[in-house]
Amino acid sequence: MIVAERKPFEEIKAMIEGCKKVLIVGCGECVSVCMAGGEKEVQILASQLRLAFEEEGKKLEAGETTLERQCDKEYLEEIKDKVDDYDAVISMACGAGVQFLAEMYDSKPVYPALNTQFIGVAEREGEWSERCRACSDCVLAETGGICPVAICPKGLLNGPCGGTNDGKCELSKEKDCAWTLIYNRLDKLGKLDNIRKIFPAKKYSVQTTPGRRIHEAFKEKE
Amino acid sequence: MEGECHFLEGNKRAKMWVDYTKGLLEESGIAPDRLKMFNLSSSMAPKFKEVVEEMVEVAKKLGPTKIEKKAA
Repeated sequence: MIVAERKPFEEIKAMIEGCKKVLIVGCGECVSVCMAGGEKEVQILASQLRLAFEEEGKKLEAGETTLERQCDKEYLEEIKDKVDDYDAVISMACGAGVQFLAEMYDSKPVYPALNTQFIGVAEREGEWSERCRACSDCVLAETGGICPVAICPKGLLNGPCGGTNDGKCELSKEKDCAWTLIYNRLDKLGKLDNIRKIFPAKKYSVQTTPGRRIHEAFKEKE
Repeated sequence: MEGECHFLEGNKRAKMWVDYTKGLLEESGIAPDRLKMFNLSSSMAPKFKEVVEEMVEVAKKLGPTKIEKKAA
């Protein structure tokens, strides 16, 4: 899932300075699961903004809604009758959702309430960690299912480097050395020979930005 | 008492959320002291009275917020 965290309250509040009516739009997918931008977080932010404005003697009408997701037009269309009633929209989706919402309602200021962090997994309740850099050239088949691009801070394809220390990274004793993890996993899988393979320089050319993919079935036939 | 909840870890989790909520209140300009968690059992009426009085004192000391009263 895409993991995000809410921006500092003061930053969000400053964005809507001068607004009297804002619509806060949550997203029911990834950011809902990582407790950053789902229905509950929309309610919390709306309440906080109302309280903070009232404490300053100002009025703010904060509308609340949470869409199934913000990265599909059909869901974004659900708010088309509401948006015009507001001075601005605060999106609690990841960066992709915020941009899609802003694109669809391009005459309305759309502000992001979250900082999008990474593609990751839930380690335990309330804790997530990065697993994928979306590099467009997956090497997991060779590395025992552990990604050196995402887990190794240097993104080394031929590791470990000289900084590995008792299974930890030289950057922090808190971080596991990705290549020690890979070595141990390959050993467990009986594929230790993989560690001898030399990866050629990474194909960054496939990691074009902005990325775009069209499903085979949807490509126009020549 | 903390960790001895009928719902096992329930009051430890509640404490975590209460602490988090105090932070939300502070961000919003509301004194976080207006919220406090106490661990009590149903048989502790005198203690319940004590903590209610404590919170009443806190509210009196802090005075009213600027938040408008809504008609019920």
